[in-house]
Amino acid sequence: MGWFALAMPAHWQQVFAERAAQSPRSVLRVLAAAAVLMSAACCFKADHPSIAVLVWIMLNTGAGIAVTMTLARRPELLRALWPLKVRPRHA
Amino acid sequence: MFANFRQAMTWLHTWFGLVLGFVLMACFFFGSLSVFDREIDRWSLPDTRFDAQPMPSFDRMLAPVFERLEPNPGDMAATARRVTGDLPSPETMSLDSLYAYTTHRDPVLLVGGEFAIPNAPVDPADDHLHVHGWATIDPRTGAKLPDDQLKIGSEFFYPMHYSLHLNWKNLGIWIVGLAAFTMLVALVTGVVMHRKVFKEFFTFRPKKRAQRSALDLHNLTGVVAMPFHLFFAFTGLVIFAGTYYFPVSHTLLEPLHERHEVAEAARTGLPHERAGVAAPLASVDAMVAEAKRRWAARDMAGDVGFLTISHLGDANSYVSIFRAGTDRVALVGEAIYFDASSGDVIREDPPRSTVGAINAFLTGLHLQHFRHWLLRWLYVLGGLLGCVCIATGFMFFVEKRKNKHAATGNIGSRVVDALAVTTVTGMVIAAVAMLAGNRLLPTDLPATGAWEIRIFWCAWLLAMVHATVRSGAVSQARINPAWREQCWAIAGLALAAVALNWITTGDHLIRTVFVDAYWPVAGVDLSLLACAAIAAWAARRLAWHERGAGQMHAARSHRRSRTHMAGG
Repeated sequence: MGWFALAMPAHWQQVFAERAAQSPRSVLRVLAAAAVLMSAACCFKADHPSIAVLVWIMLNTGAGIAVTMTLARRPELLRALWPLKVRPRHA
Repeated sequence: MFANFRQAMTWLHTWFGLVLGFVLMACFFFGSLSVFDREIDRWSLPDTRFDAQPMPSFDRMLAPVFERLEPNPGDMAATARRVTGDLPSPETMSLDSLYAYTTHRDPVLLVGGEFAIPNAPVDPADDHLHVHGWATIDPRTGAKLPDDQLKIGSEFFYPMHYSLHLNWKNLGIWIVGLAAFTMLVALVTGVVMHRKVFKEFFTFRPKKRAQRSALDLHNLTGVVAMPFHLFFAFTGLVIFAGTYYFPVSHTLLEPLHERHEVAEAARTGLPHERAGVAAPLASVDAMVAEAKRRWAARDMAGDVGFLTISHLGDANSYVSIFRAGTDRVALVGEAIYFDASSGDVIREDPPRSTVGAINAFLTGLHLQHFRHWLLRWLYVLGGLLGCVCIATGFMFFVEKRKNKHAATGNIGSRVVDALAVTTVTGMVIAAVAMLAGNRLLPTDLPATGAWEIRIFWCAWLLAMVHATVRSGAVSQARINPAWREQCWAIAGLALAAVALNWITTGDHLIRTVFVDAYWPVAGVDLSLLACAAIAAWAARRLAWHERGAGQMHAARSHRRSRTHMAGG
């Protein structure tokens, strides 16, 4: 969910502030989709499918809320999701 | 009437959401509490604070319990109104069928049965005449729990979320059904009217003005938790559809239903009627052992969740043993049926059809019998997000209109705000006051459950009066101080409930978490403490906002008076 948020230009700017260049949107979207699929795989491995699907949906809901609240209060914490060097806007 | 489709949807969302939002708030809040109804029961009934028990031995423990089971006086009175002639005396009535029910979270066991009566019905179409009896027992000893005690979680909060305790002609169930349907409509119309669903998916701006923040939070909790809201509103309707909303099998299709019952009995080999020939009951424990052996052979968890005996004492009597739904979403199932007098297996439930499996999944996901604590907490999160969504909807409604209403003298915002305070903080006050009252009432007080219910409704009524009396501020485009004051009341009551639990039972958190861990009680205590902390934090934030709004209001009045003087 954090990668999905960072793939949105407004939130990328919010997290990396004024020094940020354009977000690597495609990479972030691929990472986010892969993470969501991997979380589904983990849930289905751990539980009966009927329970796993509910756990997966609700965990994504919780993650969405957690990411939004982090963006609202401490956006800089989400920099941990993109440890690579961010190219300054006018570099 | 409306310029475009979006405006029409906005109207629908706003007004239907407002009117039925108050009901939905109760459904979501008490539904969230119901996720841990058994744990709340343990907190409110200290005598039942022991570990969850499996289904006890029928032959040794339950058979004597059923021999002592008596018809319920209230049910006798209700049945007497449906039959001609006087009912036989309760001592002479014999059980026609019986059941025992437990879950993996229940230390106590629910038992009950139907007592046969010879009377004819007043209404010839009334074909199910029995007097019911039931009891809650300690499965370790067979001792019956007092009837006048209330299981606050499973007998008050849980029915509250689907019936509002308005039982006259099932009025509450119909209102909740309408509210659930409105929830589905509100979700769809909300998506239509929300212009930036994806663009603002992760957006919450707490530092913007209240109207903006409230709308952000409303959109966030509505969109992010939409799968939960959709599923719970829909499955809530599905659960009651056949019984209450579309009871066609007992109205339009009654004759077909009757024939189907007989045909099904012939197909399954489970007798529909008594034979009229007395027969003894074989060892039920042996049948349970055989059922467990068969479940184990199919690699299934083997806890018995539900046990019934039909046509008791008759040659056609049979025993049904259902597996508890601990390891998947569907409820009890995989039943195995035995001939009661010989103990021979009559039938095993075949795998469910596709439609049956979907129905079992939909109802099971709502009723949650599974053993999965993470998912339970995620359900609480979903339910509370629903509450936040509805509460912020109210706040947005008021914030959007209160300045205009203050200027024109319209009381609309004031009324909605007072009702919102009553529904949001007032409902929490009522629930926590009930728990505090449970610990304060003398243990030997007769009908303690009735007193707890009175405390609940009185506390809620007081909260409503308080919210109304203090709502004058909204008429001046300010924040109703009742929000802050009721948050402090919640904090105080929640702390008091935890302290009273400690004082009256000796179960403080150090004991229930570390020394002699008992998570049902510790969980309720910790939730109450979290509730107190959030309420105190909210009260302080509200005080800060009130000061800010007060200063703005004073500045605005000052400016207005200066303009007026300059103009004069």
